[in-house]
Amino acid sequence: MTTVQRSFTIDPVDWNAWLDTIDIAAATPEQIAVLEESTPTAKTSPYYLLLVHDVDALRERSRLFNAVMYGQKGLARADRELASVAVSRINGCVYCASVHAQRYAQLTKHPEVVQRIFDEGVDTALDARSRAIVDYCVKLTHAPNAMVAADLAPLRAVGLNDLEILDLTHVAAMFAWANRLLQTLGEPVHKEA
Amino acid sequence: MPQRLQADTAMPDILDQLAGIQPDSALAELRARRADVTRYTQGSYDALLAPTDLAGVSRAERALIALRVAILNASPSLREHYRQQLAELNVPATTVEAVEHFPAGNGLTARETAILHHVDLLTNEPRAATPQEVETLQANGLSVRDIVTVAQLIAFMSFQVRTLVGLQLLAEAK
Repeated sequence: MTTVQRSFTIDPVDWNAWLDTIDIAAATPEQIAVLEESTPTAKTSPYYLLLVHDVDALRERSRLFNAVMYGQKGLARADRELASVAVSRINGCVYCASVHAQRYAQLTKHPEVVQRIFDEGVDTALDARSRAIVDYCVKLTHAPNAMVAADLAPLRAVGLNDLEILDLTHVAAMFAWANRLLQTLGEPVHKEA
Repeated sequence: MPQRLQADTAMPDILDQLAGIQPDSALAELRARRADVTRYTQGSYDALLAPTDLAGVSRAERALIALRVAILNASPSLREHYRQQLAELNVPATTVEAVEHFPAGNGLTARETAILHHVDLLTNEPRAATPQEVETLQANGLSVRDIVTVAQLIAFMSFQVRTLVGLQLLAEAK
């Protein structure tokens, strides 16, 4: 018996699909190839086994996701994870928030930062750099087309250059995408022991 | 920069066009440093709006979904882009108008109506989704694959809207 995970947590969470996933034993070679390049655990992940129904869309999306999250130089990995957590917290995506809170904690050794974002929301006290990053994520998530060039000023004030701002935009936009898939094709559940 | 050696990275993509990024500008150079992101953003667009294998979702339905997300996000340039695409696909103006005024308009099929309700929910309030919505789509003739495609497209549009805004802000600041 599975239980839906409704509250934000840094602990690992599972995800159940609301629709039939593909049978890996009956997958086409193309589907196998796309799963293998998506992420190491894709062949046992209900999320990827569902998305691979549309194999071309998943191939492009996985390559994009990996380029956005792991591209060399530019925005620090920890800042990308912070942005992922912030957007997921705003959109209410418990699954994405858990995965990326764990990565943030691994990179920074500061799990209390993401824990506070979970407990108190994105307005919680943060250092100046994190504050500017999270504020940009809030604006881009809620009302992107109400933004103006002056909204970049706080990012520049804490030292972000154009490449870092572009990276941050890509991450926040990527989680606008990811959250909507995880939240509308299935649900987060307590991880089985 | 090694990326420059690949001919396709020099091709202006749709976001360059919509954000008014000129080929030799500082912003084009900045985007070239993230050539993979640009390439797979365009690849996602192609795979979702104009794929070689449409399966059960027509090009017109895909463009209607994209237009609706552009409207919900108040994105004038994307709205114009998808209106133009719908015109090229010979979608009747009455259908396009109904999408503009949804859910108030008339002239949409039950299937189009179900899809557009899904677009509005996923775009405005994804946290409110339940298994019932995917059941409604199935009852309107969409296969599991079609529902995955529709969700990918709606969610991709949320990405496209935001990436375009970020590029426009950087362009304005130049």
